[in-house]
Amino acid sequence: MSLVYRFKANHPNFTHTLQDYVGEMVPFARRVKNPLLVAPLVLLKSIEWSIYRWHKTPLRRFYGIKSNELIYMITNACNDRCPKCGIWERPEPKSQHLMINHFITCLKRLHNNLYQVTLTGGEPLLFKRDVVLIADEAKRLGVPMVIVTNARLLDEAFLTHYKELGHILVISIDSVERTKWNEFRGTPSFDIVMPKILLAKRILGDQLRIQSVLSKQSETEIPKVAAWCRQHGLQHNVQLYQDFGAYNWSNAVTPKEMVDDGTPCAARKNICIYPNGDVVKCFDHRRIPLAKEPLGNIAKQDIIEILCTKRSTEISKIMRTCNFPCKHMSCNKPQALLFRQ
Amino acid sequence: MSILVIPCFIRAQSDLNCLRRLLDSVRGQSKPFEKVYVVDDASPLKYEVGRHSVEHIVLESNGGPARARNVAINRALEDRAEHILFTDHDCVLDTDWNTEMTSFLSRTEFGAVGGMTYSWGKTLLDYYHDINGTLAGKWLLPDRKELWYMPSLNFGIKAFAAEQFPFDERFPSAAGEDVDLCLRLRSKYKIGFCPTAKLWHDYGYKSTITGFARFVRLFKKYKSSSATLYEGHTVLMWDSSESIYEGNIHEPRLQV
Repeated sequence: MSLVYRFKANHPNFTHTLQDYVGEMVPFARRVKNPLLVAPLVLLKSIEWSIYRWHKTPLRRFYGIKSNELIYMITNACNDRCPKCGIWERPEPKSQHLMINHFITCLKRLHNNLYQVTLTGGEPLLFKRDVVLIADEAKRLGVPMVIVTNARLLDEAFLTHYKELGHILVISIDSVERTKWNEFRGTPSFDIVMPKILLAKRILGDQLRIQSVLSKQSETEIPKVAAWCRQHGLQHNVQLYQDFGAYNWSNAVTPKEMVDDGTPCAARKNICIYPNGDVVKCFDHRRIPLAKEPLGNIAKQDIIEILCTKRSTEISKIMRTCNFPCKHMSCNKPQALLFRQ
Repeated sequence: MSILVIPCFIRAQSDLNCLRRLLDSVRGQSKPFEKVYVVDDASPLKYEVGRHSVEHIVLESNGGPARARNVAINRALEDRAEHILFTDHDCVLDTDWNTEMTSFLSRTEFGAVGGMTYSWGKTLLDYYHDINGTLAGKWLLPDRKELWYMPSLNFGIKAFAAEQFPFDERFPSAAGEDVDLCLRLRSKYKIGFCPTAKLWHDYGYKSTITGFARFVRLFKKYKSSSATLYEGHTVLMWDSSESIYEGNIHEPRLQV
C-alpha cells in the first residue's frame, strides 16, 4: 500500500455495475404480485435505474452541509527521515508543486461544505509562508484548520499568530526518549524539537494535540508518550501503522483485526489534494479500481466541477462500503473517534 | 393548532383543476385545519381560489417550492402553529389525513411525520409508482422504526423543528429539497411514519403510452438533484434505506 497512486488508466468495473443492477431489480420484482406484470414493471424499473446511472444532468449544483474535510498534502518533502514513512523519499519537483493561489481558490469554493481543512505532508512547515496564507484564509472563511507537523520548524512568531487564528496543531511523536526518538525520526532532532513542543504547549494551550503511530517498533514507546501527554495535559491520539511506501515498519495489529474491529470508515467525507494539485477522495484511493486515477487537478479545473463528475459520485458510492485497514488512519476516522482522552 | 401549506406553481388549467380538487378534499377533512396557506410561486396563470377559506399568499417572483414553503413556515410560526403540514397541489387528501398526521405528531416524540402516498391514476405507470414507492418515503434500515426520508407532498413537522430546519432555497425546483431537509433534520430529530395518513398523488399520466415521456422526465428531474445531495450529505447518506410500498407499510417492528 502506498500513498502515491499510479497514473495507469482504469475503466469502470462491469461486475460492480451488474451487481448494482441485480441488487435493485431482484427486491423490486419480488414486490410484484401479478406474474404478468413482472416483465413490464422490471422494464420500467430498468429505465429508472438507467436514468439514475447514466443520465447526465444539465444542472449540477454543489451544495452541502459542513460535512467534508479538505486535506491538502502540501508537499512530499520532509526534513526528517522517519523509517516508517516513504513519502519524504519522493519529494515533488519544484515545477510540479501546486501554486498556492490554486489551493486558496479551492478552499474558497468549498468552504460552505467544510468542517475542517487539514494540512499534512511531508512536512507542511517547509512551506510556512503558504501555510500561514491558508490559515488566514481559513479563519476568514470560518473553517477550522489542522496542521500535522514534526514541529522542527515551529517558532514563537508562527505559534503566536496561529494561536490568534484559533486553529489546531497536531505534532507527531512516537517516543519521548532521546535514543528511540532519534531512531524513529532518522535524524538527531530530539533536543531541537522537544523544547519547541513545550513552547507550543505554552502558547497554544488546548489547541495543541499529539499523535502517535502504533507499530511493532513503537508499541513499547506509545504508553510512555501517552503518559507524557497526560502529565502535560495534552490530548493524544494513536493511529495504527500504515505503510506509506517505506515498508520498514510492521503492524502491531494484523490487517484482519484492523478490518474486523467494527470501526466505520469515514473516508467518504474527504476531499484530498496532492502536492501537484491532483484530487482524490481518499489518500488510499487506489484500493478502489475505479479510483486509481485522480479525479482531476485543481490547477486545471474547478474543484466543484471535479467533484460533480459521474466518476466522483460513483466512487463516493463505492466508498460507502469501504472496509480496509486504512480506515484506521486519522484522516479516515469519524471525528468522534479522534483525540479521545 | 395545525396549518396546511400548499406551494403551487399554476401553469395551466389542469394544474388549477388539481388545486381545486385538493382544496375540496381539504374542506372535507374530519378534523379541519386551523389555517390553510396556498403559496403561489409567481404562477404564469392568474386565478382565484374561490369559495375555499384559505390564505392565498402570492409571491412576486418565482423562487421554487423551497422558498414558497419557507414563506409559509415563517407565517405559520408567527401564527403560533404547533404542527405544520405540507402537501402539493396535485394531491388529494384522505378525509382523516389531518386527524392522523396531527395525532401522530402529538402522541409521539418524532420531530416530523410522513404518511402513505398512493397513485391517483390507474395506468401501469401509476401502478409502477405504487410498487416502487417513488413518492412514499423510505424506511431507515435495518430497524424500520423511522424514516430515512419523506417527500414533502405528504409531510408534517413540529413547529419547533421547522423553525430550526427550514428548506434550503438553493434548490430551484421540486427535486431534492425535501431529501436535503430530511437528512439535515435527522441530525437532531427522527421522522416517523403514519400509514393511516393517506393521500393520493396525481402523476398526470393520461395513459401508459402517452405518459411514458412524462415518466422519463420525472426521473431525470430527480436525478438532477442526486449528485448535489450525494456530495453534500456524504456522511448521512451512508445509511441504508428501503422505499415504502403497500407490502411493507405495517412493519411488525414499528414502535410508535
